[in-house]
Parts: sequence; C-alpha cells; structure tokens
Amino acid sequence: MSNVELSYDHYIVIKDNEVTGSSLPSNVSFNENTLTFEIGAPISLHVILIYENTKIHYDFKDHVHAEIIESRACHAGGRLEREISLGKDAHVNMFNEIVSDENNELQFIDEGSLDENALLQIGYNELSDNIIDGQYHFKLTGEGAQAKVRMAMLSRKDEKKHYCVHIEHLARHTTGIMDNYGVVKDEARLTVDGIGTINKGYNGSAAHQTNKIIVFDEKCQASANPYLYIDEYDVTASHAAAVGKMDEDHLYYLQTRGLTKRQAMQLITYGYLEPVIHVVDNEMLQERFQEALAKVGA
Amino acid sequence: MSVLKIKDLHVSVGDKEILKGVNLTINTGEVHALLGPNGNGKSTLLSAIMGHPAYSVTKGSITLDDEDVLAMSVDERSRKGLFLGMQYPQSIPGVTNSDFLKAAINARREEPIRLFQFIKKLDKAIDELEMNEDLAHRYLNEGFSGGEKKRNEILQMKLLEPKFALLDEIDSGLDVDALRIVSESINNMRNDDLGMVIVSHYDRLYENIRPTHVHILVDGQIVVDGGYELIKKVNEEGFEWVKELGVTFKEEEKKIAPMSLGSCGAKVTRDE
Repeated sequence: MSNVELSYDHYIVIKDNEVTGSSLPSNVSFNENTLTFEIGAPISLHVILIYENTKIHYDFKDHVHAEIIESRACHAGGRLEREISLGKDAHVNMFNEIVSDENNELQFIDEGSLDENALLQIGYNELSDNIIDGQYHFKLTGEGAQAKVRMAMLSRKDEKKHYCVHIEHLARHTTGIMDNYGVVKDEARLTVDGIGTINKGYNGSAAHQTNKIIVFDEKCQASANPYLYIDEYDVTASHAAAVGKMDEDHLYYLQTRGLTKRQAMQLITYGYLEPVIHVVDNEMLQERFQEALAKVGA
Repeated sequence: MSVLKIKDLHVSVGDKEILKGVNLTINTGEVHALLGPNGNGKSTLLSAIMGHPAYSVTKGSITLDDEDVLAMSVDERSRKGLFLGMQYPQSIPGVTNSDFLKAAINARREEPIRLFQFIKKLDKAIDELEMNEDLAHRYLNEGFSGGEKKRNEILQMKLLEPKFALLDEIDSGLDVDALRIVSESINNMRNDDLGMVIVSHYDRLYENIRPTHVHILVDGQIVVDGGYELIKKVNEEGFEWVKELGVTFKEEEKKIAPMSLGSCGAKVTRDE
C-alpha cells in the first residue's frame, strides 16, 4: 500500500470531455479522454467530472503510485464509462463520489484491468440521491495482482439502486476482496450482486466478499447476492451476505444512554459505512462524507 | 433532592408475571442494595425502570420527582437522569467509544460539548478507572473482556452524571483489582444528588460501598427491608431464614443458566 500524502494542489476539471481547469503534476497528462499517469513522484489528484454521457480512461503506467479522488456531477443523468488500467507494480488508491443529488437516472460502467503485482484499492461513495445502475468489473490479468473494492450504499425515498461488482481472476496468485455495505430506507430498493470468478489454472488465488444491507423500514426492498465461480482447487474463497434489520439490542443499549432511536440508528450506520473513506487519507473528504451521512437519520 | 418512587409494580415477560407488586422509594444520596435468590426479579426490576421493551408493566407506577416514568421512552428516561449499568453490555462494531460517548453527552445538552472539554473529561475518567488509553478509538465494547465492559459501564455513568444509577451485577467478571477500582470509583461519585440501586451476589462490593438501605426481593416482591446488617446475615445464612418469615420461595432456576432470569432479555450478543 502506498503511503502517499494527499494534497489538493493537483486537480483537473473535465466538462463533457473538455478540460475547463487543471493543475497537473508533470507526470500526468490528459489527451482524448485518457488521463495518463507516468512513473515519477507519487501522485495525488482530484478529478472533477461534469458530464452527461462520457468515457474516461485512467491509464496508470508501470510502477505508478497514485491517490485519486473523483467527484462526479451529472446534472442531466446519463452514462459514465471508465476504463481503469494498472500497469505492473502500480499502486492506486481511488475514491469515487457523486456530488449531484437530483434523482437522475445514472449508469456507471467500470472496466478495470490489473497487471502483475498491481494493487488497486477503490472505494465508492454511493449515498447520492439518484437512481443508479452500477457495473464494476475488475480483471486481475497479471500474477500477484490485487483488487480491493469497498462500497458504501444508501438507497432511500423511492430510489432504485442496483450494483454488480465482479472481480475476475485471470492469473495465478491474485487477490480479490470486496466489502459492499448498504442501507435501505423508506420505499427504496437496493440490490448488490458480488461476483468472484477464478478460472482453472489460476492457483494460489483468493476471492473474498462481504455484502451487507441494513433495512430500515417495512416497505423497502433489499437483496444481497454473492456468487463465487471457482474452477480451481488451490484457492481460498469466502462470502458473507446479510440483509436484515438493525439489531434491537444495539439500539436499546444506545437508547438507555439517551440517544433517540433515530440518533442511535445514525450512529450505527455511520460506523457501518464510514470505512469506505479510509481508501484515501483526506480530511475534506471525511467532512463531505459526514454531511452526506446526515440524511440517513432524516 | 430527587425521588424515584416505585409503587405496586407488576411486570410480565410474555404471559409470565415476574414482579408482583414491588414498592420502593429511593432518594438521591441513598444507596440501596437489592438482594435475593436468582430468578426472583432483581434484574427485571432494574430493566423495567429503564424501560426494556421485553418487560411489560401491567400494574403500578414509577415516578421520578412526580413525573410518570412509564410514559417516557427509554431515551427520555436516560435524559431525565436514569442510568442502567448492565450485566451484559452490548458490543457494537463500527461505533467508536468516543463517538458514542460524545453523542450520549450531547443528547442531554443544549449545546454540543466542546471537543477539548470532552477529551479532558474522558481522559480523567479513563485514568480513574485505570482503563486503556486507546479506549476512545476502539469500537464500543468490541473485543473487551468482561471486566473492561463493566468498567466501561461505570465510565459512562461518570460522564453522564445521572440522578439515579441502577447497577445490575456490575461486579460480576471483575478480578480483585478491578473490583477495587470500580467500587472506589462508585464511592467517589457518591453525593447528595445521586441515588443508587445495586444488585450483586457478592458481599465484597457491598463491603466496599456500604449501602444505606437493603432489600430482599423474593418471588417478585420485596419481603424484607433493613440496613447493612441484612447483607451480613444473608452472607452468613443465605436466604433460608427468610422462609421462616412466612415467605414462599419461587423455585430457583439457577444452574440452568448462569444468569438471573430477569436479565435474559439483554443477554444476547450478536456481533456482525
């Protein structure tokens, strides 16, 4: 894991494929929808996307160390396709957030590929008020590649959110870990499918996943579906899926200390979703995340 | 001075009546010990005062300075000054002690506590209870030993400054040193604005704390009231002599479960 100190000195604002503002380090360039990261000093970059329908390619060359925060605003709804490729020994920590709360229909497609010994830690803040379909697919193509995916999801009011996270092992000694945590409220729907695929011959690989959804109200719908497709003996794999109400004994305990039921629920939810922000080390992000979480108790 | 008054309290779990008319008045400044064989209603009484949803009050009243406690939600009772130190405190993964304690303190304040003031208060309490300094950053009771959980209950009591503290077997699971620390800490908190009800099976806690009032609860009723001398008597003779007073015992259910019947509602721990 890279111990890059994040600063916001470097940023790029891309509006419908046009750069409208940027301050890039010398080893980062943007050309025809591709952000290229070359070897050099560790990179911390804030990417701001304003778009309707767009494609972007994050191209992390061999040995690059980078910490990325991507903030998206999609005021009209639409589709965002991303290609995220990590070269050999590239270490990337990436946090994604949606900053427009407008009940638009949004579609996200991530296609990731990780070369030898590449490490991708990626976090998704999925708390925004939108209708979302997210398909996140990561291919571990090089030996020793590792992908760690963490999601914090909130679906409320009459929103529908569906996510599919797929980590595909296409080399030996690869590791895929996903932790998908969600909260569903009111009359909303939330579905998360976690898929781990290890094909024959890719021994020494590990596929682990946890999918959990807390259900707040009677009328909401939640489903957490883990799938492991494994065609190789010498691997480790595990999955856990849980959909359920908040533990009544936990709530009671907090209430005996003076917290209202809503406050207690919010505190528990915060602890449940908060780990996603530790994908990157950034205080501003923590503040934004806290603010976004306030609506859980609303 | 505040008064917690329990009158003719009847409490059931499901269709089983556990308390059958309890009368008890506690003033701030007093420390009451509640004795009795297992399964006779001690923990039930404390849980019912706090408002555990599994216990339904079928008759009688509980008032705090003439306010109807039974009409209050659990959290309201807490904010009005009732505190229950639990026999089996919950572990809550993901919630740090620090966030939890701050939220609990702020729940009873108009203005949120200043961070500096909070840290000072917390550090002092941690120091006094000889707890680990990393407590603030650990998840609430998660991975805590039995003794640490109990100390954490007393720490919460310290920070929340209740009018009435109900301590349910707060000494079980404590080693000799921890028991000393906890009882010293409780003694330090004693003052004219705090009343306590303590349930314990061991006379050592009572020896250290010296209750002002002692009651024996048998089969859902308080059958004997007295002072500290009662504790000695029970310690030497058990509860058999109470029978001679014409009291019928409820069949003891000990050995079946290592806890008193009344506490089972709060027992389940479910991590993850």
